[in-house]
Amino acid sequence: MPKSLYIDPNATLRPQEHELKLPTIPVMQYNKTVKQEIKDGNFTPEDLLRIYRDMSYIREFETMLNLVKTTGGYNGVAYNNPGPAHLSAGQEAAAVGMAYCLDTDDFIFGSHRSHGEILAKGLRSIQILPDAELEKVMKEFWGGATLEVAKKAYDGKDTKELGIRFLLYGAMAEIFARVTGFNKGLGGSMHTFFTPFGIYPNNAIVGGSGSIAVGAALYKKVNRKKGIVVANLGDGAMARGPVLEGMTFASMDQFETLWEGDMKGGLPVLFNVMDNQYAMGGQTKGETMGYTFPARLGAGFKDDAMAAERVDGYNPLAVIDAFRRKKAYLEDKKGPALLDVVTYRYSGHSPSDQSSYRTKEEIAAWEAEDCIVAFGKKLIDAGVATQEALDAIRKDVNDNIFACYKLAIDDSLSPRMDLVKDSELLGDMMFSNQSIDSLSDAKPDVLMPLEENPRVKQIAGKSRFYIDAQGNKVSKMKMYNIKDGLFEAIADRFYKDASLVAYGEENREWGGAFAVYRGLTEAIPYHRLFNSPIAEAAIIGTAIGYAMCGGRVIPEIMYCDFLGCCGDEIFNQLPKWQAMSGNILKMPVVVRVSVGSKYGAQHSQDWTSLCTHIPGLKVAFPATPYDAKGLMNAALQGTDPVVFFESQRIYDKGEEFHEGGVPEGYYEIPFGEPDIKREGKDVTFLTIGATLYRAIEAADMLKEKYGLEAEVIDARSLVPFNYEKVIASVKKTGRIIIAGDACARGSYLNDLAANIADLCFDDLDAAPVVLGSRNWITPCHELEEAFFPQPSWFLDAINEKMIPLKDYVPVSNMTCAQKVLRSKKGV
Amino acid sequence: MAEVVIMPKQGQSVESCIMTEFKKNVGDQVAVGDILFSYETDKASFDEEAKVEGTVLAVFFKAGDEVPVLTNVMVIGKPGESFEQFAPGCAAAAEVSASETPATLGMVRGGTGSEADGGVERSETVSEAGASAAAAVEGASAAPVAGAPASPRARRIAAEKGLSIDQIAGSGPYGRIIARDVEAAAAGLHLTGLAKAMMAEGGKAAPAAGSGLGGAVKGSDLKVWQPNHSDIPGEGEEFRVEKLSNMRKLIAKSMYNSLQNSAQLTHMLGADARRIQALRKKAKKALEEGRIDANITINDFVCFAVIKALQKFPNVNSHCLGDAMRLFNTVNLGLAVDTERGLMVPAVKGAENLNIIGLSKMLKKVADDCKKGSINPDLLSSEAASFTVSNLGGYGVEWFTPIINVPQSAILGVGTIVPRPKDLGGGVYAFVPYLGLSLTYDHRAIDGGEATRFLKQVAVEIENLEVEF
Repeated sequence: MPKSLYIDPNATLRPQEHELKLPTIPVMQYNKTVKQEIKDGNFTPEDLLRIYRDMSYIREFETMLNLVKTTGGYNGVAYNNPGPAHLSAGQEAAAVGMAYCLDTDDFIFGSHRSHGEILAKGLRSIQILPDAELEKVMKEFWGGATLEVAKKAYDGKDTKELGIRFLLYGAMAEIFARVTGFNKGLGGSMHTFFTPFGIYPNNAIVGGSGSIAVGAALYKKVNRKKGIVVANLGDGAMARGPVLEGMTFASMDQFETLWEGDMKGGLPVLFNVMDNQYAMGGQTKGETMGYTFPARLGAGFKDDAMAAERVDGYNPLAVIDAFRRKKAYLEDKKGPALLDVVTYRYSGHSPSDQSSYRTKEEIAAWEAEDCIVAFGKKLIDAGVATQEALDAIRKDVNDNIFACYKLAIDDSLSPRMDLVKDSELLGDMMFSNQSIDSLSDAKPDVLMPLEENPRVKQIAGKSRFYIDAQGNKVSKMKMYNIKDGLFEAIADRFYKDASLVAYGEENREWGGAFAVYRGLTEAIPYHRLFNSPIAEAAIIGTAIGYAMCGGRVIPEIMYCDFLGCCGDEIFNQLPKWQAMSGNILKMPVVVRVSVGSKYGAQHSQDWTSLCTHIPGLKVAFPATPYDAKGLMNAALQGTDPVVFFESQRIYDKGEEFHEGGVPEGYYEIPFGEPDIKREGKDVTFLTIGATLYRAIEAADMLKEKYGLEAEVIDARSLVPFNYEKVIASVKKTGRIIIAGDACARGSYLNDLAANIADLCFDDLDAAPVVLGSRNWITPCHELEEAFFPQPSWFLDAINEKMIPLKDYVPVSNMTCAQKVLRSKKGV
Repeated sequence: MAEVVIMPKQGQSVESCIMTEFKKNVGDQVAVGDILFSYETDKASFDEEAKVEGTVLAVFFKAGDEVPVLTNVMVIGKPGESFEQFAPGCAAAAEVSASETPATLGMVRGGTGSEADGGVERSETVSEAGASAAAAVEGASAAPVAGAPASPRARRIAAEKGLSIDQIAGSGPYGRIIARDVEAAAAGLHLTGLAKAMMAEGGKAAPAAGSGLGGAVKGSDLKVWQPNHSDIPGEGEEFRVEKLSNMRKLIAKSMYNSLQNSAQLTHMLGADARRIQALRKKAKKALEEGRIDANITINDFVCFAVIKALQKFPNVNSHCLGDAMRLFNTVNLGLAVDTERGLMVPAVKGAENLNIIGLSKMLKKVADDCKKGSINPDLLSSEAASFTVSNLGGYGVEWFTPIINVPQSAILGVGTIVPRPKDLGGGVYAFVPYLGLSLTYDHRAIDGGEATRFLKQVAVEIENLEVEF
């Protein structure tokens, strides 16, 4: 809602045009012959033969896998591959056509069915990379381990031929879960990729790349990097919300209307639909979709219909023709673009698919149109090659595949990780744990010196501790609060790291719904801080793509409750890629998530536990300005995905604990270190997030009325978590209450309790008590005290579970019988 | 001015006494010399006489209570005089006691028996803990409950402090024994390292105060713990239930403790009694003729012979302490005495320095003191004697297996004299009076060979006894 864009009622209510005119979308318009293409100078005979060769590589590669899956071997050499194999035989022309126009700087993202795309792009990059560069890439990869084995399949001197063995072997070893594979065997068939060739991750979640690729394009644009990004998606993925959200994000008007200077213009991203007719067993055209052709989608997102075209994916030259035009369109900053590449897969969804949903006749009819056979025939017809020459190519291809196959299944040459013996190996790959000031060499784009920023000036007048020198409580307006702490850390990083971008709903003029960014609008240009559509899947998905390419990003989820809208991105994508890539990728994404209250059942939930459950995410939930700033600094200095929870209850809290208040300069609070906010000897309170303040209140009551001293520990971050301070505390007190605002059932609170019971068993005077919210919907604000843990609940728990308090009248029912009863009822 | 009656201190090792009966109660008139109350230590019972006259204004305990020595028990004065300040544990009482008997301050405030030196500091710790916990605490249930739940922390502290969790009353939720209960129990107890280790093994009970320095509970003070039965159903025609007297309980515990904690076995040997029978005849005559003033009994001669034998066998004249031996340079002879209230074993210290007349007199004196209840409790401690003689000959018992008074290493049971055939040599057999000797010894301390040699030595001493009177 920028003020510069006036919504004119006159123009809105009384438009000049009374029809919404959609551009026409070309369908199968390519009609050139091979001879004509040669004549036009578009291809040399060598180019055409290489296209034939590349298609043959894909076909044999998929044939090999199909035979391994269905017959337990290939060319008489037995092998059992228990993992997935989603094959793309039939789609070779679409893949090779896609890759033909791409440079190494152009990135492709894929799906679960992307072996063909990887090989096509890899073969293309090998072809265009200078030999020296190619050699360097291969020698440096895994310290040359992959190359060493690949060399055994080639004894010649041709670097490109060696490169082909390297590509085939690296991909196969990955599919067979070997440590010499492109991702150390941790990605496998559906995730393998090789960034030095511009091959970015494929994705086992249908449509997963639909938003991630958009983020990669955003990275290229904001960081002024060369190249376009291709999102290879299936036609089935056109039904996926995150894909549609990714298209929405990529189509935002602001790229044209609000982004300035060289940043003006669309994102360089091409949604390339490998339209193979099936979504698993569902037939998209005629059954599960209503779009007639996927190309229609373009018209729904942008007035140029994303320059969508439906092209013949059975003819590599038709695909190349379309790609040449689309690439130019993107380089002209007119993106995004959409291609609907018609193709067909011969194999089922997977080798276990009996193709019960289609007839043999249908498959036979498509095989009769086979893209490789047909293209070979055209080459012969055009006098480019003889059948013998083509047969020789096929034989060479088959020999190379077989040679690499034998290497990739050899346990001594291509071992797997021994995760039993090296029990911490994979654990140590879950996080990259790096500390890097800036992920960019560029000078950060900013609009003013930070010290002139109005927010910075305002903060300078605030008290950085909750009481002044005279011991008087500082007024709310003059109090340096949690929002200020977050602002200082984020503003600092914007001025330090040119790659940092931040976006989400209402992030710019509004400063975020809770005004953490207020003042940044004046300081940071649009392309680094902008409003996103209300599309959480795209907000997180694009951030993942942005970070994969090497940038730092802060996507914001306005309410914790909306995490469900980006469930796949938060749970399946963000946490997985560092380890799944074999640590090739870093994931410097700090997801800011605001935890609400007062707004009822869909705006007041603490979902920290959902995030702690997923391996690969770091989780923080600071509750004081000092901790908020220090943890945000640490999050932004790191290279790991962080879900950074903030509580709307306490955004205005001043610093009440850290002596001397919040430092003005830069400092980090290491992740994983809980903090003792108050010392005590009789009972320990371990709190998550805003519950800290209710625990402090309870500690006051306990001291005043019952002479017991509570030690209050603020968890601060939940993953990682160092138990040492908690153990020491429990050794002292013998009792612990773990409290947070998450619903108690299945929460991280229980995880902490179970671990503490384990780690401190002989020191415990009572079982650890969990105080979480009731297992209900969050009621309206007026009724919240029955739902969220209250100070009185701490005393109730002590009285009922630990030490009977004299003359105590409990507020809540914490008896064992009640617990059993509630559990029986499922509440 | 009202007068306070305190629990007297009977002997150095006594830290507390069991109140057995109040003869005077609140409101009763008392005259000087009236018996106010009876009490007993683990070895003897006593009566406390009134030293002032007046009316009983207050009684702070009830029969059966264990009362630390020097604690205020009763107040005697004129009706209407205030007495609250004398209540044990009351701050005013502490002040009064402090001014009047400074040395007892620790005991009075702490409420637990301990030596004055260490007691002050410990009892202050207790009161402080009590104060901070007081607000949070519902009163702890008075008695330990068998099988009560205990927190892991409480168990750990109990193990560290050498306390048996079974004997601690729980004050936590659902009667759970929690850390503070163990700490409170521990605060009133001072255990030696050995005692801690033995307690940690479980099954033992520590008395409120032990026989070590500053009232420390030593390994030998530990008793096998048996739960108290407060309610035994089924009383009626078949049986009636009678609670054990405190004396009986103490004997029971120490006998059981002895058998549980040592490796006892008994050797039996006969000794030709002709020599001592002749000596007895001689002594009787000497007494009748007024040449001596002691009635020297057969048992006195046996004891005299035992003392001689013990001087030749220092390993037998000893205490077995589990991982060490206490070898005596002197013979402290214990004598089992049957009294109306039960078995007592007073010691005669330095018995090797006595001639037969002195020994006879001393044995008679301690036995009489026991029967009268006026024995010095210090002489009743099982540690007071280095060896014990138990004589059942008077009852016609020939042989028996006496139980060692631990930590002593052995005990000699003396039976009756019966005629037995004896080879007198040259094919001549005759009936000769034989004395039955039963030596129970702790095999941990003494091996069978040595025990046999010692027993034989006793027989040799008896058969060749030389005494002058």
